[in-house]
Amino acid sequence: MNIDDISQRLMTSVRVGLAIINADDMKPVFSNEHFKKWFQVEEDGTLGLLGEQEELVASITGLEPGGTFNFDTTLKVRRRELSLSVHISCLESDSLPLVLVEVHNNTRLKEMESMIQSYSKMVERNERDLKREKERAEKLLLNVMPKSVFEELKAFGVTAPTRYDEASVLMLDFIAFTEMSIADDPAAIVSELNDIFTNFDRIVEQFGCERIKTIGDAYMAVSGLPESNPDHARNIAKAALLFIRYLEQRNKTHKNAWLARVGIASGPVIGSIVGVHKYVYDIFGPAVNLAARMERRSDPMQVTLCSPMSDNLKDIFRLIEKGEEEIKGFGKLTLYNLDPSSAGHLDAF
Amino acid sequence: MAQTLFHRVGGFAAVSGIVMDFYDRILDSEKAGDFFDGVDVDKMIDHQTRFISSMMGGPSAHTDEQLRRSHANLKIDGGSFDEMIDILCATLKDHNLDSEDIAIVRREYESRRSLIVVDLG
Repeated sequence: MNIDDISQRLMTSVRVGLAIINADDMKPVFSNEHFKKWFQVEEDGTLGLLGEQEELVASITGLEPGGTFNFDTTLKVRRRELSLSVHISCLESDSLPLVLVEVHNNTRLKEMESMIQSYSKMVERNERDLKREKERAEKLLLNVMPKSVFEELKAFGVTAPTRYDEASVLMLDFIAFTEMSIADDPAAIVSELNDIFTNFDRIVEQFGCERIKTIGDAYMAVSGLPESNPDHARNIAKAALLFIRYLEQRNKTHKNAWLARVGIASGPVIGSIVGVHKYVYDIFGPAVNLAARMERRSDPMQVTLCSPMSDNLKDIFRLIEKGEEEIKGFGKLTLYNLDPSSAGHLDAF
Repeated sequence: MAQTLFHRVGGFAAVSGIVMDFYDRILDSEKAGDFFDGVDVDKMIDHQTRFISSMMGGPSAHTDEQLRRSHANLKIDGGSFDEMIDILCATLKDHNLDSEDIAIVRREYESRRSLIVVDLG
């Protein structure tokens, strides 16, 4: 096989469209199969759709030997849109003014590009959805545990029970809850409780306390954990007084009057996540038990506490002494009511 | 969590090959090709990538309502829909998917027939 044969075969089989054009009459001297297919050459000696390209004439006119010209074009071939890159170069020739036309088919590349773009958008959207879902899950978990405990759980996968020597606990319960006129209407009860507890949550947050849980109509909050706070007793007392004030205001404008008893107490507390699959952050310890006992001894719409918590409060709250009582597990203690009028100056906090 | 078919066949790298091949074959089809004629290439590729991915349990993007709306004006008949599914399944077979997996994809497409096909009778 001589070099001309090899050239001939190469030009025919290469995956590039090739044509050599006589610049004088704009007719092809040679064109390979790809060229004919892409430009739909139906008759030998013509350029097919390439001949209709305005760029062709413009590029060939005035092209010096060795000069080149490029342009991109799109053609439709049997339902497909072809993206073609045309490269024109003027050949050095003694006899004829020949021009070489090289055509690269970029259709696949373009299709791949748009496919990658489409897929990237899909992945991005999925990521956004995932992020939103993650935030929703985090928000749910933050409802059942303090933020710092949640951060610990997220970082280490487990949390250790922590003892807090100085904390204050609040317990609230509604009086005659089961006998209330709307007790037979669970939907109404839930709706009203939800309204009340949501407002309690706002008050608790305002004073840097944490809502621990609600059980039915009971509400429990704590101050002084997970971050210690020297003002834990005062903060819980402020929250307690605002609970009562909020309920008094609410009862004036609503059909159902909600009457609460509140007990508060200071002391050591252990905070821990309970459960593996169903997380609950709960607190245990003497302050919890004492607050529960204070709540039981409380009169309607009163906040009850006992010594020694009273020492921490008497400077800024008016305390009304109720006398000494034997408290199971704690011995004889002096009980006090927080004077609701102490709440008068709470707006300033 | 069980791996989706999308990940089992090789994720985007494999699915992109399937989409390209399917796109080529459907354009050549006498029966179904006309529905794809004149459709913007980017739009077409985007549509097929999203749809084939979602059928395989990959990232998805179409709701039933979107499918119904986007096909309503095309007046696609049952025969063309069959042809399209047949071409897709043949493509999947040539890309070495298990017959079980192909059956899953076929079922997914079939379950959306009423959203795509317009009763011309």
